[in-house]
Amino acid sequence: MTMTMTKPIPVPAPGTQLDWKLEHPYTARHLLLVIALLALLLFTGHRTDMDRMVAMTVQAVGKVVGLADDSQVVRGLSRVGEAMWPPIIGEQEEVARLPALDRDDLPPFTYVEVQERREQRLNTDTFEMEEEVERVEYLVKPVGYLWTVFVKMVETVEIALWGTLLSVLLSVPLAWFAARNYSPGRLTYTLARGTISLLRSAPELIVALFLVLAYGFGPIAGVLALGLHAAGFLGKFYAEDIENADRKPQEALEAIGAGKLKTLWYGVMPQVLPQYIAYTLYILDRNVRMATVIGLVGAGGIGQELKGRFDMFQYGHVATILIAIFIVVFVLDQFSARLRARLI
Amino acid sequence: MIEFDRLTKTWPDGTRALSDISLAVPRGQFCVVLGPSGAGKSTLLRAVNGLMRPTTGRVAIDGIDLTPATERELRRRVAMIHQHFNLTARMSVAGNVLAGLLPVVSTGRALLGWFTPAHRARACALLAGVGLDPRHLRRRAGELSGGQQQRVGIARAFMLDPEVVLADEPVASLDPKISRDILGLIRDAARERNATVLCSLHQVDLAREFGDRIVGMRDGRVVFDGTPDQFTDERVERLYAGAHWEDEADEPAPAGRLAPAGQPIAA
Repeated sequence: MTMTMTKPIPVPAPGTQLDWKLEHPYTARHLLLVIALLALLLFTGHRTDMDRMVAMTVQAVGKVVGLADDSQVVRGLSRVGEAMWPPIIGEQEEVARLPALDRDDLPPFTYVEVQERREQRLNTDTFEMEEEVERVEYLVKPVGYLWTVFVKMVETVEIALWGTLLSVLLSVPLAWFAARNYSPGRLTYTLARGTISLLRSAPELIVALFLVLAYGFGPIAGVLALGLHAAGFLGKFYAEDIENADRKPQEALEAIGAGKLKTLWYGVMPQVLPQYIAYTLYILDRNVRMATVIGLVGAGGIGQELKGRFDMFQYGHVATILIAIFIVVFVLDQFSARLRARLI
Repeated sequence: MIEFDRLTKTWPDGTRALSDISLAVPRGQFCVVLGPSGAGKSTLLRAVNGLMRPTTGRVAIDGIDLTPATERELRRRVAMIHQHFNLTARMSVAGNVLAGLLPVVSTGRALLGWFTPAHRARACALLAGVGLDPRHLRRRAGELSGGQQQRVGIARAFMLDPEVVLADEPVASLDPKISRDILGLIRDAARERNATVLCSLHQVDLAREFGDRIVGMRDGRVVFDGTPDQFTDERVERLYAGAHWEDEADEPAPAGRLAPAGQPIAA
C-alpha cells in the first residue's frame, strides 16, 4: 500500500558548520539572584536568632562531650528530665474523703493502705518540738493514673474518628461542586472553591478556640474543628482527582446518556478510590495527632488533661501522657500504613 | 436509519474536520467508514450521539433530529464501541457491562450497584455471547488482554439493545486475528438485532470483508461510497494517494542539507 512509502531522516552531512549552538546555562543574572537570596537568608536568619541557636547548640554538644563547662540548653533539658522522671502510674486518695467507699467491696485493682504522716509540731505546754505521728488511710490505685490516661486517649481517638467522618461527609458534596467538569455552573464552582479555601486557611487550633466559646469545653468543639479543617483539605484533593481522572470511561458512559452522577460513580470513583482512601487515612492520622493538641484550648481529649497537669507543675503526670501520645501515634501510623498497603 | 444532512464541522482553530457530508445509512446495514488518519472518520461517528456538535447541518436517527432536547433520549438507542475500549479499568468486568444499563437504571440502584436479577442475567448472557466465562466476571477490566477488553466493551454496548452501533476504530489496537473475531462479533450481534453499524476502520482488507457498504473519507469529505466489490484496488490507491504523514513538513527541507540515506549520524 502507498502508506508504507519511506523518506530519509534529514541528517546534516559530516563537517557541516551550524549557525546555532546551545549556550552555557548560567549568566550574571543567576549569580545576582543567588547573592540576593543569600542576603535575604542571612537577614531573616539573624531576625529569627538562628545564629544564637547554632551557638547554643554547639555549646550544648561541648558540654555533653566535656569540652564546655556550662550550657543553658543542657541545664534546661536536665531540669525537665529530672522533674518528669519517673512517669506517674498510680494514684491514691484519702479514704476520709471518699464517703461512698464500701470497704468490703473495693473497686478492682485497689487496696486500702495506712500511711503514717510524721509532723514536727510545737507543744504549747512544754515549748518543745515534738514529733507527732498521724495515721491516715489511703485508697491506693496502683495503675489508677494509667487508666485515666487510657480513657482520655480513647476519647482523643474518638474525637479524631468523628472529625474524620465529618470531614468526609462534608467534602464529598464539596468535591462534586468544586470539580470543574462536574460542577453545575461557574457560580457553584467558585462558591465551592471559595469554601474549600476558607476551611483550609483556618488552623484547627484557632477554630477550636472559638468553637469552645460557642459549644463549651469538651469534645464537640474538637470534633467540629478537626472536621471543618479536614473537609477543606479533602474537598480540594477529591475534586482535583475527579478533574484529573481518565476521560475515556467517562466519555463511554456520557455517550450512552448515563447522566452526570452515574457517570461519576461508575467512570470516576473506581479510578480515584485508592487515592481517596490514602487521603482519608492521612487525615485520620493527622487528626489523631491534632486531637492530642486541640485539648490544650479545652476542646476535649488528652490535651485537656495535659494542659491541666502542666499548669500544676505535675511533670510526672505529663511524662505519662506524652509517652501515651507517642505510643498511640506510632501504633496508628503502623496501622494505617498496613491498611493502605492492603487496600491499594 | 441514520441521516447526515450537509454536515460541516469547523474546529475553533479553523481546521475543517467535515465538509458538507450527506449520507443515509439504512437500518441493519454494516457501513464501514474508511480513510487515512485525520480524514474525519471519528468526527463523523461522534456526530451521531452528540459527542461532537456540528457547526452546520443536521443528523437524524429514524427521522428524529439530534438536538439538545432529544439528545438524551437518542443516546440510549445509540451504543458506542471505542478504540481504547474506554472501560473503567479498576472496576470488575460485571460492573463495566452493567454500566451499559445506567441510562435506564434508577439513581438509587445505580449508586448501590444493586441491579435486578433480570439485568444481571442479561449481563452474563452477553458476556457468554462475546466469548467470556464466569471466571472473568469479578476480575478487574484492566487486568484483561486487549481483545478481552474489547469483548467486554461489545457486551456493554449491546446491554440496551441499541438500534445504532458506532464502532470507532474498534480493532485499531488489536492484532489481525483478534481483529477479525471482534468485527465478527459486532457484525453478528448487530444482525441479530437488526441494528445499524457505523464502523470506522483503517484496514482495507477488513473493510472489504465485513462491510455491506464502504464510505471512503479524505480530508473531511466523502470520496467513495459503494459496495466492497466496487471498492477496487485502484480506488484504494486513489483514497490513500499522497496521504499526509503526520511528521512531514509542508515544505521539504533544502535538498543540499540532506545526508544520503543510510549514512551514520556520528562520523
